[in-house]
Amino acid sequence: MDFDWTNLWEYLPFLLAGAGTTLAITGVAAAIATVLGLVLALARISGRRILSWPAYAYIEFFRTTPPLIQIVWFYFVVPVLIGYELNSFQAASAALGLNVAAFLGEIFRAGIQGVDATQRDAAQVLGLSRTDTYRFVILPQALRIVLPPATTTIMLLLKATALASAIGTMELTRVGQLISIETFRPFEILTAVAIIYFIINYPIALAARHLERRLAISGH
Amino acid sequence: MTEFADATVDRAASTAAASAPFVRLEGVWKRFGPLEVLRGIHLDVRQGEVVVLIGPSGSGKSTLLRCVCLLEPIQRGEIQIEGVPIAVGSEERGKKPDKGTIRRMRQEIGMVFQSFNLFPHLTAKQNIALAPRRVRGLSRTAADALAHELLARVGLSDKADEHPSRLSGGQQQRAAIARALAMRPQVMLFDEITSALDPELVGEVLRVMRQLANEGMTMLVVTHEMGFARDAADRVIFMDQGMIVEEDAPEVIFTRPEKGRTQAFLRQLLERA
Repeated sequence: MDFDWTNLWEYLPFLLAGAGTTLAITGVAAAIATVLGLVLALARISGRRILSWPAYAYIEFFRTTPPLIQIVWFYFVVPVLIGYELNSFQAASAALGLNVAAFLGEIFRAGIQGVDATQRDAAQVLGLSRTDTYRFVILPQALRIVLPPATTTIMLLLKATALASAIGTMELTRVGQLISIETFRPFEILTAVAIIYFIINYPIALAARHLERRLAISGH
Repeated sequence: MTEFADATVDRAASTAAASAPFVRLEGVWKRFGPLEVLRGIHLDVRQGEVVVLIGPSGSGKSTLLRCVCLLEPIQRGEIQIEGVPIAVGSEERGKKPDKGTIRRMRQEIGMVFQSFNLFPHLTAKQNIALAPRRVRGLSRTAADALAHELLARVGLSDKADEHPSRLSGGQQQRAAIARALAMRPQVMLFDEITSALDPELVGEVLRVMRQLANEGMTMLVVTHEMGFARDAADRVIFMDQGMIVEEDAPEVIFTRPEKGRTQAFLRQLLERA
């Protein structure tokens, strides 16, 4: 086996730029997914068919179709539908955001429903409005429940950004592929890529664990 | 020193003066699916009265309380607070109370639950201050001051910044009472609030309830604590299978109950004790 690691330093800036793009896609997609996921969860719970059924249809569609297909579809088909050009970053971020929203929607729903019904009773007899009940009683408790699965989902999202390479986005995986081809050193380059993925993904797990511990200290 | 009720009036005098019932249940029927839980309940509670509901489990006592504080809908009949209908049976024709009325009258009713139902992520003080701030519009300082005052009344001043998980059952229940009182209700409902407590913690909670009763609070209490019923109740109501079987002053119910079912229930209670 003949490994040459010297090339690595030369190409590190490119890999780091790729990692930056990966994080950017993850950030945008996670923001979309979190907001939309919460909307979906509340719609599913609402009990009003006109809200819950579209939410249900959305979730099942995005859960069952492969994210890769969704990314490709967003890049090639959506611009035609909306008459607006999408670059690969936008298409990938949007597709992944909408996709992960479906998963987060179910996670948030489970979290909200996991809060004891008696908490709602107590809030109701105190006269708290529906909004205030969610804001001050239900959601803070649901947060503690959803933190582990939601964190895992975001970490999966970060890895799924690699799929954006299929439409040419210069995220970490694509950059790694191109450098491997150029240097004929796939082993060294892709090992570096894997390590960089670990380095940017692990802090998410650490942050979540820290947040979990802080919520636990407050005694629930 | 603030009181829980608006005026410290001799209880007997106030019940004589306020002839119109404060809480009225008129022909209330409630079903859960095919199961009839309340069958034609007629009940009046006068201002300042302490009414205790006893009866076997499944008799509908808790459901009755839950209907009064609007946690459960009723199918037939009407529930009124100060003469204002707050609940009308779903099967009744005619006007249903509007949301504004319901929201307004709901503030007059406070409820304490068997399982405390404190908000676990908030401290005792925050639990109590939340509703006054958000519903009654108190400022944060005013709400906090109110919370401290009520914590002192129930004997929990030193626990203001503790979370419910750090409190004993009795302390949690007293905090729950303080939380309900923060909304300055005119009538307090108690749903077996000592049933989930270790025996040695029951006393401290009953003490707070007796204090409330002495201050003239209108109370509707579901309990198995016959001692409390005997000492503090103006009226004891025995319920069985969704109906009021017998109601009278505590001395009468406990010494010379009329109905056979009442006698059977009380006998069973004495055997257990």
